[in-house]
Amino acid sequence: MRKLTTALLAGLVVTAGASAALAADKTEISVARFFGACEADYGSVTDVTKANGECGIITALINKFNAESTTTTVKPEIVEWPGYDQLTARIRSGEPPVISVMHEAVISDYSSRGLLEPLDEDFAKAGIDVNDMTDASRQGVTKDGKIYAMPFDTHTWLWHINMNLFKEAGLVDEAGKPILPKNTDELFAQAEQFKEKTGKPYFISTLANETAFYTRTFDTLLYQQNVDFFADPNKVNFSSPEAKGALQLLADIFTKDLTTKNQDYAASVSSFAAGEGGVFICGTWLIDTYDQESKKDGPLANGYAVTAFPQIYPGSPRVWADGHSWVLLKQDLSDAQRASAIEFMKFLWDNNYEWARTGHLPVRKSIIDSAEFKGLPHRDDIASLAVNGTALPSAVKRQFSIQEIEGEEVGSAMRGDKSVDEALTDAETRINELLANAK
Amino acid sequence: MAASEHIVGRGIGNKLILLSVILVAVIWMLPIAWTLLLSFKPNSELMISTASAFHPPYTLKNYTDIFQSSGVFRWLWNSAVVSIGVTAGILILSSLAGYGFARAEFKGRDIIFVLVLLGLAVPEQAVIIARHQIFSDLKMHNTYPAIILPGLSSAFGVFLMTQYFKAIPKDIDEAAMLDNASRFKIFWKVLLPLTVPAQATLGIFSFLGAWNDYLWPLISATKPEMFTITVGMASTQTNFAQSEGLGFLMAQAIFAGLPVFIVYLFFQKYIVRAVAGAAIN
Repeated sequence: MRKLTTALLAGLVVTAGASAALAADKTEISVARFFGACEADYGSVTDVTKANGECGIITALINKFNAESTTTTVKPEIVEWPGYDQLTARIRSGEPPVISVMHEAVISDYSSRGLLEPLDEDFAKAGIDVNDMTDASRQGVTKDGKIYAMPFDTHTWLWHINMNLFKEAGLVDEAGKPILPKNTDELFAQAEQFKEKTGKPYFISTLANETAFYTRTFDTLLYQQNVDFFADPNKVNFSSPEAKGALQLLADIFTKDLTTKNQDYAASVSSFAAGEGGVFICGTWLIDTYDQESKKDGPLANGYAVTAFPQIYPGSPRVWADGHSWVLLKQDLSDAQRASAIEFMKFLWDNNYEWARTGHLPVRKSIIDSAEFKGLPHRDDIASLAVNGTALPSAVKRQFSIQEIEGEEVGSAMRGDKSVDEALTDAETRINELLANAK
Repeated sequence: MAASEHIVGRGIGNKLILLSVILVAVIWMLPIAWTLLLSFKPNSELMISTASAFHPPYTLKNYTDIFQSSGVFRWLWNSAVVSIGVTAGILILSSLAGYGFARAEFKGRDIIFVLVLLGLAVPEQAVIIARHQIFSDLKMHNTYPAIILPGLSSAFGVFLMTQYFKAIPKDIDEAAMLDNASRFKIFWKVLLPLTVPAQATLGIFSFLGAWNDYLWPLISATKPEMFTITVGMASTQTNFAQSEGLGFLMAQAIFAGLPVFIVYLFFQKYIVRAVAGAAIN
């Protein structure tokens, strides 16, 4: 018995030693990301199918990678969203992470300063087929003809619909689909009908404490009219009748009380779940959340639908889009570190379907066309967004700041703080001043 | 008769003042009570309506989730090191500078004092890029000195201590000099003990400021193992924490505020005196 115990102990020691040696042989790379921390729920989960939500899925993906890779250990470094102040500070202090998550709208700010590694050759060697990237995602990560990031998702602007209230308002067709406006007149008519029948506003909108709603909706309305407001990437142009018409439309929605008012993001998310309006214009990332709500008792019970932003102007079905991607920061990396970084990116590429379960759209055509993806709730209804999602031209710098300014000005016109003309002029002036100083 | 009416009138007046104070205190405490209440609610319920906070179920999961974050104790330790370091540094430097400005005679003293005071008018944001570059060039980011050192230049501390030293009669110095005490001995043994109330005031404000600081640690301590509690807590929030993780967010706020609350419990006498003193000055 004693010999057996000794043998077992010796075996354990050898195994532990071997494991330690193996771990020591692995190359460690740091990966900076937002999406939050959820170690309590997913800290040891390696089966990605058991994870949900952005935080859960990315945590499980990294756990799985670390468990499976024989050569690489990923050390996640979690930062507060969006994390660009911190990233810039890290680059300046000479201690950037090896990989970082980055919005595609931000890539040009970093690539134009030579802070990112181009990845075309690495992707070709690793078997990441860039031809499988959707047009939107490929455009999002390509700057000056080079690919600077591994796209991870496309997120766009769409309509979340409370079908129970739509039924009450008589806005459901015989097939059980929501009746949606095809032009601005229909939009106002249906919104008034909705308000009259339900006593609630047609729209739920995030109008307080952030600018995203204004910018994304306004851009979408311009895209629908084929307005190329960044024909010159160094100068925005909002001096068009189409821009004026789109902004007037938003202002009219507000003054005619067809939307909720004074709600911030959290309040508007809750408001839709609580059945306080018919349409919530927001992003892809809420699809799963509301789908789960529709399976419970409550205002959304068996009554949730989602649709691409209806085309209310003749022109195109294009819609605002951005995407998360992974970049390799320029620094003095060893061959092993670079190989490990590409290995991790390839792993994320291979598991893009899992990330698409968050509600974001996949970046691979092959996944969008797959039965597996189409089998996810509501995804078939919005697959067109992967084609129609449109980002600002990649040559436009300071896109986050531009969106902030644009949102402030559009918001001030929508709420009636400024006239439409004044807001458009101010937006143009402020953005062009910013771009004139952008290096 | 008139005297008793006066006493009754004064009694009513006092009660009205007391009622007003209670009302203001309740209004002030409501957000904190609301935060505490929400911190015990499941996130999924709060996403639909925060009104659910008034009825069960309640949970401790938001708090247990905080403790299961691998970095939380490290972040607490970092915050403690930084806050104590900043507080000690400010007390030492401000006392020395305050004594110098109040007692020592040297050329340009008043001009230098004005220059120090001008520091009160310069917001941290205005110098943060230059400061970041200096620490980058020194390769000091992600170290305790990098987080602590900028906090030591406290114009407020110098001003407060100068005024306090000035208020101490010079006769005390002269009496000590007659006993052959050196200038440092006078400072250390005679005057410094008399400034304990001011030191307590300054120490408390410095500690609270350092504990709650966010911007500088955010860009200097960029590695998770060097995060302070404010930066670490923020990093664990999901992208849509306000809607999908509200209970957790509130639990984080309570947790991060607890050490400050404890400091307040122990030093409330000094804090009240400090605030009252500042108002009188």
